[in-house]
This record gives sequence, C-alpha cells and structure tokens, in this order.
Amino acid sequence: MCLPHTVLRLDRIGDVLALPKVQCPNHPDAMLVEDYRAGDMICPECGLVVGDRVIDVGSEWRTFTNEKATQDPSRVGDAQNPLLNGGDLSTMISKGTGAASFDEFGNSKYQNRRTMSSSDRAMLNAFKEITTMADRINLPRNIIDRTNNLFKQVYEQKSLKGRANDAIASACLYIACRQEGVPRTFKEICAVSRISKKEIGRCFKLILKALETSVDLITTGDFMSRFCSNLGLPKQVQMAATYIARKAVELDLVPGRSPISVAAAAIYMASQASAEKKTQKEIGDIAGVADVTIRQSYRLIYPRAADLFPPDFKFDTPVDKLPQL
Amino acid sequence: MEQNNSLPPFQGLASPQGAMTPGIPIFSPMMPYGSGLTPQPVTNTNSLSLLEEQHRQQQQQQTPQLYHSQTVTTTTLPGNTPLYTTTPLTPMTPITPATPASESSGIVPQLQNIVSTVNLGCKLDLKTIALRARNAEYNPKRFAAVIMRIREPRTTALIFSSGKMVCTGAKSEEQSRLAARKYARVVQKLGFPAKFLDFKIQNMVGSCDVKFPIRLEGLVLTHQQFSSYEPELFPGLIYRMIKPRIVLLIFVSGKVVLTGAKVRGEIYEAFENIYPILKGFRKTT
Repeated sequence: MCLPHTVLRLDRIGDVLALPKVQCPNHPDAMLVEDYRAGDMICPECGLVVGDRVIDVGSEWRTFTNEKATQDPSRVGDAQNPLLNGGDLSTMISKGTGAASFDEFGNSKYQNRRTMSSSDRAMLNAFKEITTMADRINLPRNIIDRTNNLFKQVYEQKSLKGRANDAIASACLYIACRQEGVPRTFKEICAVSRISKKEIGRCFKLILKALETSVDLITTGDFMSRFCSNLGLPKQVQMAATYIARKAVELDLVPGRSPISVAAAAIYMASQASAEKKTQKEIGDIAGVADVTIRQSYRLIYPRAADLFPPDFKFDTPVDKLPQL
Repeated sequence: MEQNNSLPPFQGLASPQGAMTPGIPIFSPMMPYGSGLTPQPVTNTNSLSLLEEQHRQQQQQQTPQLYHSQTVTTTTLPGNTPLYTTTPLTPMTPITPATPASESSGIVPQLQNIVSTVNLGCKLDLKTIALRARNAEYNPKRFAAVIMRIREPRTTALIFSSGKMVCTGAKSEEQSRLAARKYARVVQKLGFPAKFLDFKIQNMVGSCDVKFPIRLEGLVLTHQQFSSYEPELFPGLIYRMIKPRIVLLIFVSGKVVLTGAKVRGEIYEAFENIYPILKGFRKTT
C-alpha cells in the first residue's frame, strides 16, 4: 500500500544531530506502536502505518522437537540470562561438518565444546538442580527466579563456599517459598532434594545470616490449602480446619507445638467431624508428621473442641462423638 | 547462709537530690545505653564492677535500692563477690521505692556443665592406658581418644595421644579443676610423666527458670537480628547475645539455657540482660 508522506523531523539537541524521529503526520505527539511481526510502526490514534521495513526480531527458524537435533539451523543461541550469569557473550565454535573436519580415525579435529564458562559452571548446575527440584513440587516461575537470585547472592558472597551446592540450593528454595508467602515445610523440600533436613536447616540459618535477611514465622494457615487438597477434603472442611487451628493458637491450647503439628491435628478434628473422615496415618503422611504427634496435639485441643469449630459448621459427627484418643 | 559484704561508701558520688547523706552506700543502677550489643530495654546490671566505675548517668535513679540479699547456694562462688547486699537504712534518708524496671531478677542461673582442657605435657600411649586403667574405653576406629570416667566429681575425660585432655560434666569451676587433676593423677600412676599445664575452662552451661510462660513469636519479631525461632527445627528460640557473647535457648515454658561462657559472670550478666526482655513477653493468659 502506498504511504502518505511521513514527516521526518531532524531534532537538534544542542549542536548534536539526533536520530530522525518518525511521527504520524496527523498526530505528531502520539507514541507509535511497533508491530514487530509485520515490521511496521503504527499510529495508535488513526491506525496509520507510519514506518515500515523495521527489522523483524522474531526467530529465524521455528524449531520442532522431532527434527534431528544436529540439524538446528538457528544461528543464535539460547536466550541470554543477564541477571544470573556474568553476561555470557562468549563465542562457541560448533562441530564441523564435511570431510575436512575429521581426522583419519574419524574423530573430529576441533574439540572445544567443553569449556563454556568455568566460573559459572557450578552456578548453572545449581540453577538446573533448582529447576528440577521446583518442578517436582510444581512451583511457579516466580519462586524459581527468586531462588536463583538468592543462590547467586550466596554464591557470590562465598561465605558458604564449603557447603554442598545442592544443600545451598535446597535452602534457597525453602527461603524463596517462605519469602513469597507460600512456605513449604522442610520435609517437603527434603522430599525433592537429596540433602538431609539437618543440613538444609543448617544452610538455611547460615544463608539468613550471610544475606542479613529474615523470614516471617510460619503459621498454621499457610499449609491448610495444600494439605487439605492433597487429602481431597472439601472446602468447608478446609475452612473449618483453618478456623480450628487459628483458634487453638489464639487460646494458647498448644504452647510450644510446631504449627505443622497443630495444623495436622486441626485437619484431623475437622475431617472427623465431617463426612470425609481421614485417619491420623493419612494426615501424617501428607503433612510429614508422625501420627503420635497428631495424637498429642489432638489431645491438647480435644477438651475445647466445642469452642474451636466455626459457628456455621455442619456437623456430620457431633462434637461429643468425636474420637477421643 | 548470708554473706554481707559492706561496701565502702562512695564519697565521690555527689547526691543529685541533695537529700542523701554521703555516708550511705548508694547503689547507682547502671543504665547502659544501647550500643546495639546489649539487649534493650534498659537493663540494670548490678555487678560490683559497674558500681565501681562511677558512671554519671542521665536518669535520676540514684535512689538507694533495696536489694534482697542472696542466699548463697551450696556451690561456692570462688573468686566472685556476691552481687547483692542489704542497704542499712537510717531514718534520715528519704526512700523512694525502687522502680520495677531496675530491680534484679532474683533468679540465679545454675551451672550445669563445664568443659575444660588441660595439657598433660607428654605423649601418651592410649592402648596401655585403656588396658590398665579402670573405666576407660578406647575405640580407635570410632574416635582417636581414650574416654575415661570418674565418679567423684562425676565427669568424663577425653584423653588424646598428644597429651591433651578435655574434661566435661563438672558442675563448677573448682570441680572441673579437681576432676582434671584426678585424671592427670590416674595417667601419672600408669607411668607417664604427666604434668598439669594450661588448665583452661572453655565453656560453661547454665540453666534457670523465669517461672512464667513466654511469647516466643513476639520476641522473635522485636529482636530479629539476635533471635532465630524455627519451630520446625527446634522448639526453643535461639538468642545470640552479642555482649556478653552468650547463646541462650529460650523455651515457651520459661526455662532458659545459657551457654558459651568462659567465666561464670558472663552467664549471670547475660541472664540479667535477658530477664527484663522476657518479662515484657510474658504470656498474659
């Protein structure tokens, strides 16, 4: 299509000639919207295509997974990760094709695929490990990014240099979950990591000290939605359990008990009062607490059971018929 | 059994209100203003050394304080003068009641464990020691030292082949030294030229009870830079006091464990520092 005349203005900033600015002739003040797929600059007011033949920044080739991996014709590498790496601008020489690049035994003459960026190799490994761990428990991208940032900070500080990178990565994952407001228990992180809970706990404290941050205290409500949905309990039971746990802590019926144990006992009480009864063993498996622990906490909240339930709760089993262990 | 150490009257102290006779020992409570190292709120460390420093402080708290005299417990305090004395009151002195904030806690932490090291000054053959001594165990595959125990004072010693020894389990400094000497005697009787060089107390652990439940969540919120409270990891709050350098384990029940001290006074000082803070986080129900 033919373009009406575009006004090309040469701005003079002092004595220096600025780059020519295209602008819509009808709306000189409008900020042009760039449509990079078509290579156009469009005026949002009137829809006039002002500039054309802007360089297309889309990918050159579309790559599909079923094609042979060696045949990737893309001439650019992976997306740069500027926040985390040292700005990987190194050039890599690919394996040669053709007869000249192979010597008489069939080995390729040029063999320099290994040394990418030795200083960041450990960090890249750790990022891969973090992504693997996070995938196992379906953590969203923002937590993974936060974990990566934390790991980078700790790694650069070098104060925890002697510790296993996996331990530091697991501890960073734990801290990131806490900081995002969705804490995971140490046992949950343990389940996806090869590091022991003790070591993760040690690294956790060391990292908090090294980065001079602190995290909020965990509460019973943080875990309710996850535990209840893993057990398949309906929303009313989950809400009742949340209420019970909160009330129990407010009334100080369970001093000194870990919030996880209190949450598990509350879920037990709520599920036993509803139609969906769960055993202590099932809850203990999901929450990562022993069933004797649930029993202990349950014994503490049982005497005041009538006060702990929310007022609008529909009892399948009345309060006096709740199991007494 | 009471010990009354009458303090010499502090002549140098000019009475601020002008109403007190200089003859009466005036206990000036120290109000160390936070360097950030001593935990706030304003604490009153009544140790004698501070009184002797003669600091003039801004607060007009120069009233003679009534301190209940400390009943000395069976464990003697070697080298330490008692901290509290009764004030002999004359009828002429106006007495203003002591404010609660500057009162001492009245609780003395009890020492539970002392770890000390000593150098016996000669190389030892652990195998002969283990074979000939009573109450000695030696498992070189597990640990490279002889573990010896004596009944009085009830202690355990780790004796290394270099001649160095670690003595643990004593309840007082004197007992620790006595026990270490007993172990050295045992080694000497077995034929080694044992000496008793560089006896040093490395760690002292004390514990006490403040007798009221504590809100650990509140404490960790206000003293974040010193406290670490992770109920998943440990049920107690770990408070790392910077001055003196003591680690305190504070539990919901009100029991407090203090460790990391090299001298007895550090434990007492740390407890006096933490007591007003704990009072502030007392559970009200």
